[in-house]
Amino acid sequence: MKISDRKEGDITFVSLAGRFDIATMDPVRDWFNEAIPAGKVNLVVNLSEVTFVDSAALAVLVQAMKRSREMGGDVRLCCLRQPVRMIFELTRLDKAFEILTTEKDAFN
Amino acid sequence: MSQVLANLLTTQKKQLNAIAETWLDLGAAAFTVWAGGALLARWSSRATFVGNPILAPIYLAGELLGELRVFGAGLDHMQRRLETDALLISHMAHLERDLEGMTSRLIDTQDQLLALYDLTRATRNYLDIMDLLEQLAKSAVRLVKTKGAFVMLDTPEKTPWTAHFPNPILPESDLRLYLQQLQATPGEEALYWDKVLNNVGQHSSLLMIPIEVRGSVIAALGLLDKTKGQFTSPDRKLALAIAEHAGAQIENVLLFQANLEQTRLETEMDLAQRVQLQLLPQYPPGVEGIQLWAGSQPASRVGGDFYDFIVKSNQPLTFTVGDISGKGMPAALLMAMTRTVLRTQMNTSPVPTPEILMRRSNEDLYDDFTEVSMFATVFIGQYTPHTRQLTYANAGHSPVIYCPAGQTAQLLEADGAPIGILPTSLSLDQKMSFRPDDVMVIATDGLNEARNSRDEMFGYDRLMRLIESVAHKPANDIAKALYDAVDKFSNGTMQDDDQTMIVMKGMP
Repeated sequence: MKISDRKEGDITFVSLAGRFDIATMDPVRDWFNEAIPAGKVNLVVNLSEVTFVDSAALAVLVQAMKRSREMGGDVRLCCLRQPVRMIFELTRLDKAFEILTTEKDAFN
Repeated sequence: MSQVLANLLTTQKKQLNAIAETWLDLGAAAFTVWAGGALLARWSSRATFVGNPILAPIYLAGELLGELRVFGAGLDHMQRRLETDALLISHMAHLERDLEGMTSRLIDTQDQLLALYDLTRATRNYLDIMDLLEQLAKSAVRLVKTKGAFVMLDTPEKTPWTAHFPNPILPESDLRLYLQQLQATPGEEALYWDKVLNNVGQHSSLLMIPIEVRGSVIAALGLLDKTKGQFTSPDRKLALAIAEHAGAQIENVLLFQANLEQTRLETEMDLAQRVQLQLLPQYPPGVEGIQLWAGSQPASRVGGDFYDFIVKSNQPLTFTVGDISGKGMPAALLMAMTRTVLRTQMNTSPVPTPEILMRRSNEDLYDDFTEVSMFATVFIGQYTPHTRQLTYANAGHSPVIYCPAGQTAQLLEADGAPIGILPTSLSLDQKMSFRPDDVMVIATDGLNEARNSRDEMFGYDRLMRLIESVAHKPANDIAKALYDAVDKFSNGTMQDDDQTMIVMKGMP
């Protein structure tokens, strides 16, 4: 699981790459656990390079979303591939997360 | 130094007797040995000191030990011979001193070997890291005769341990710095500071020896201030021997701890599995108009799948299938909690439709799930036999596959997010007729996400096509066909999620 991030204005863009599941999620969770308390609460998670998410990985995103909302921010997702989008739709997590088509949408 | 000569008179008595008797045979009146102006020995005991003696000094390593004096008339020409004898005695004193040194070193080595043997025996039975480190520090103080010692261990996985004896002598942060210095200079035998420690008070020297565990320096033995003098080369050697022994012991204990942790995890897994299995009903209830089959195949790492049937008189049959995100004991406990909340709501709600059960359960569980960063996908169904009506609410649960008699299978998608995600559940009651030969499979993602050796997933499509092909069979045959197909597909590849399902089939 590769994680890279950059900041534009008050939005932090995080890009993940690879399979995102119980076996690979720890670094992502650690990243959120460090970033959110440090004030990076407006997050856009780019999943364009993520091929699969399981429920444990979804739980990591949900936790980040809840924590950032508590601090007045949000975790938004963007650029989901079809299989990943399907998982969000089937679990109806698309109702819990704001899902963007492109990173640019984050500024609208 | 006079003691050296006195000792020699005892230890080399025979040789000195021989020298003295030669002189007496040569006509001397007396042969004497003196040290610091005092008479140490004379031959013979009745000898009288007459005339002017001839003298010869005895030196050892440039220092005057004493002298030989031979009395008697007409010996002047034998001065040279006496000097040779004095030289011989010097040589004997020299040998004697070397021998003493060697003996004392041998005794020391012997002591140290015994001490190390003691140390091995004393530490062999420790299974707790801290106990072991304390014993090592204590033994090091005793063996190397220092004022204090500490052993610190810094494994990547855990916070560092430090054991001091008798008292903490330096701040932990300093000790860690020293350990880092040792780690930064691999192969270095030791770090030694002499009078660099003035800033920490009365201490004058610190000897730090690296301790290797499994090939890397993750621990160190620190010795502070020799009781007398400075650390010597033998001290270093002894400290190295202790460090080597310490490394082996630490490795043993770490291995033991890892095994213990493994056993603990296995016990937890076993418990979690039992919690899970005991809460799942063994047999589905008999209900008019439908056939039911329910079961779960637990994974190697216990997941949080569950299913349940709630039968109450004058109420439709309620059944639930759920999947807690996460694994192990936390998932098993939340699964038990979710099941209990659903049952309680069923018993206490005035009109317990699936939508109301879902909303109330979400309200009950939201804070707890948020606390532990987990959630649960839940399907709640209710079937009323006399109307053949099926009402369900689906909070993020998938797959739910409905195959109407003779038609293609379809995925019934959820309308609300899983329990524990949002403060309010958005799942609404969905109503449908469930007629003879209709089939509904409510499974968990362990089935469609089962993988084969090429890392491909079984997927929804295979699942739906398969259900269509076996829909004409009884419920338990449908379940068996699904499990068999998934097993055949994964072909022994380890699955890390439970595979759970309820199969419902409409009967004439």
